[in-house]
Amino acid sequence: MLHSIILSYVTFVYFGAFLLYLIMMVMGRAVFGRLATCVAGGGFLIQTWAIITRWMTSYKMGIGHAPFSNLYESLIFFAWALMLLYLIVEWRTKNRTMGVFVTPLAFLALAYASFSPNISNQIQPLIPALKSNWLIAHVITCFFGYAAFGLSFGLSLMYLIKRVGTGSERNIFLRLIPETGILDILNYQMIAIGFLMLTLGIITGSVWAHSAWGSYWSWDPKETWSLITWLIYASVLHSRMVRGWKGKRIAILCIIGFSCVLFTYFGVNYLAGLHSYAKS
Amino acid sequence: MNDHDPQQRRNPVWAFLSSVRLTIILLIILALASVIGTLVPQREDAVEFARRISPELFSLLSTLDIFDMYHSTWFRLLIGFLALNLTVCSIDRFPRTWKRFSALPRPDRQKPFEDLPQERSFVVRAERKSAAASVVEYLKGRYKRIRTKETESAHFIYGEKGRFSHFGVYLVHLSILIIIIGGLLGSFLGFEAYVNIAEGEKTRTVILRNTMKPLDLGFEVRCDRFFVDFYRNGAPKEYRSDLTFLLGGQEVEKASALVNHPVHFRGITFYQSSYGVIPKVRIRVSRHASQAESRIVELEQGDQVELPGGGGVFSVTRFSGNFMNRFGPAVRILVRPIKGHEIRFWVVKEMEALKKILPAPIDNFPGLDPSAFKPYTFSFMDRVKGRYYTGLQVNRDPGVPLVWAGCFLMMAGFFVTFFTSHKRIWVRVSGHDTGVRVSVAGTANKNPVGLERELDKVTREIGRLFKKG
Repeated sequence: MLHSIILSYVTFVYFGAFLLYLIMMVMGRAVFGRLATCVAGGGFLIQTWAIITRWMTSYKMGIGHAPFSNLYESLIFFAWALMLLYLIVEWRTKNRTMGVFVTPLAFLALAYASFSPNISNQIQPLIPALKSNWLIAHVITCFFGYAAFGLSFGLSLMYLIKRVGTGSERNIFLRLIPETGILDILNYQMIAIGFLMLTLGIITGSVWAHSAWGSYWSWDPKETWSLITWLIYASVLHSRMVRGWKGKRIAILCIIGFSCVLFTYFGVNYLAGLHSYAKS
Repeated sequence: MNDHDPQQRRNPVWAFLSSVRLTIILLIILALASVIGTLVPQREDAVEFARRISPELFSLLSTLDIFDMYHSTWFRLLIGFLALNLTVCSIDRFPRTWKRFSALPRPDRQKPFEDLPQERSFVVRAERKSAAASVVEYLKGRYKRIRTKETESAHFIYGEKGRFSHFGVYLVHLSILIIIIGGLLGSFLGFEAYVNIAEGEKTRTVILRNTMKPLDLGFEVRCDRFFVDFYRNGAPKEYRSDLTFLLGGQEVEKASALVNHPVHFRGITFYQSSYGVIPKVRIRVSRHASQAESRIVELEQGDQVELPGGGGVFSVTRFSGNFMNRFGPAVRILVRPIKGHEIRFWVVKEMEALKKILPAPIDNFPGLDPSAFKPYTFSFMDRVKGRYYTGLQVNRDPGVPLVWAGCFLMMAGFFVTFFTSHKRIWVRVSGHDTGVRVSVAGTANKNPVGLERELDKVTREIGRLFKKG
């Protein structure tokens, strides 16, 4: 289908944006940064168009539903949410250095969706359990949460790189990365957004599970791993807000938190559970 | 932590329970413990896993309740401990929060103005008193609890907003307690059960999931019809059970249970959860292996049928689509004679094929011999279209409203915690040779970036005030 082909091309657009951000960081020339933003923004618009087209196509096929129903569609949406959030942060902070760390995540998600032999890009009809208005709310909140944690992961990497490299002022790459204090504040904001969205995602999921499976909490592996992720970020927030932890320790905890997010998203598929439709 | 009440400081238990270090440790322990339960199969799934591990490991894991970890006492104690910790923490910190909430700093505090960036102050041509008055007028529109103070050298104006932001954390903690209480209420006063009902049948009892014991509902539920609808690609589209509820044999209510649309009756909820077809087969029973004295019977799994010529009954207890994964369709027959012991054996549909595989004549295998009950011979002719049964999940959970209330409160608490801050603003209007100098300073309990933005805006807008006049 046309939109799937276009989505697979967007993969390369994001890779191009990544290269341009990288060239900007290595050569220190702002013009590449502006170009990178244009490419990333263009890719984002094309992706938005493709998602809407896929949505409309499903209605033409008579099995209309929002494109959030399987692994392929969720990966596409994850990349989309990540890019949207990144472009907003870039615009608000007027700083492009984060692009080097975030565009690869979007690129990898799209590449996995488009080129993995195990993932079907067909539009499939909704099975009875997924036929619920909660599907849209649940998927949107969860994936914006994942996207915010993805940005927090990128910021944590930046923080650690900047910390390790303090002193080598001549390195353009390191010099371009914002001050650690700013990274820390931005990281906190991303954790706050991610935590709020993850909580909303868990709550909407519970409300939905209550009507579909008969229980708002069944300790299904995906549920449990989302709770584990929630607990990790809750401890990050407590150590920062109450105990005043800053910087390196928070950055490391955020990287652990994001690996929990990845396990909640992908790793759980290797465990048996109720969320089986998110596997392929 | 410095301004502890001395009486509380002396109590080490209180100090331990009110430490955030404990909170962080508990959160991480809970996270790690939860991981175990996702790696080790739980409840029904544990049986298969238990067969593959050594008996020593099995007894260790089952002593630790690992196979039903999330309902074990130790896991609940861990959650209880976290609840206790957050309660104590909240009580411990509340007086200080209250102080911060209600404190009204002096309008003429000097500290906020130390190291004031240049762009936060400007000079205007105006008289000091009227300048101060218009600043007060402006701040009244944006801030609460406006206080002013006049000294020899300057007018000071203080304003603040968002002081409720200090309580956001308490809302979140309260919401977690409410959710935990809701969960406990559900597990003590509620139940989770299931029942399979064939089309046209009714039942009064359901099977509890945790103990596998029957539970009397106090009313009857009948499955009038079960529907399943498929998409063109063969994937299921809709499952539906038409149910009728009966009280004392009288029909009271009719409703359809669909996936995502459960049915409620008398505080109990019925969820469409599975379905199946009751096996129905045709069996030929012949006496003395002669065709002449044979009878063909059509029966469902569970039906009891009289043997031709009397002397007992027989029934089909199980149906297998591919017996022992190689012999094809088969049924298990149970014969209950009036005299003597009951006897069970499998009857394979493709008897000739089975005889070829077996190394010895079939009478050496009583469990597979269709003539095991003398003098009868059973043969399995074919499977016929049977009735559907619906699998219903049957729950009662009085804790649900509390859990939803807790979730709602948690979102409200997060909103207050993350998106509001207690901003305090001081404006100093001081005498100057060529006019008056207006300086704007402020503090906030969180979100320093937001405070800077706010101060920029306030400075700009106060400046504009004087340009107009």
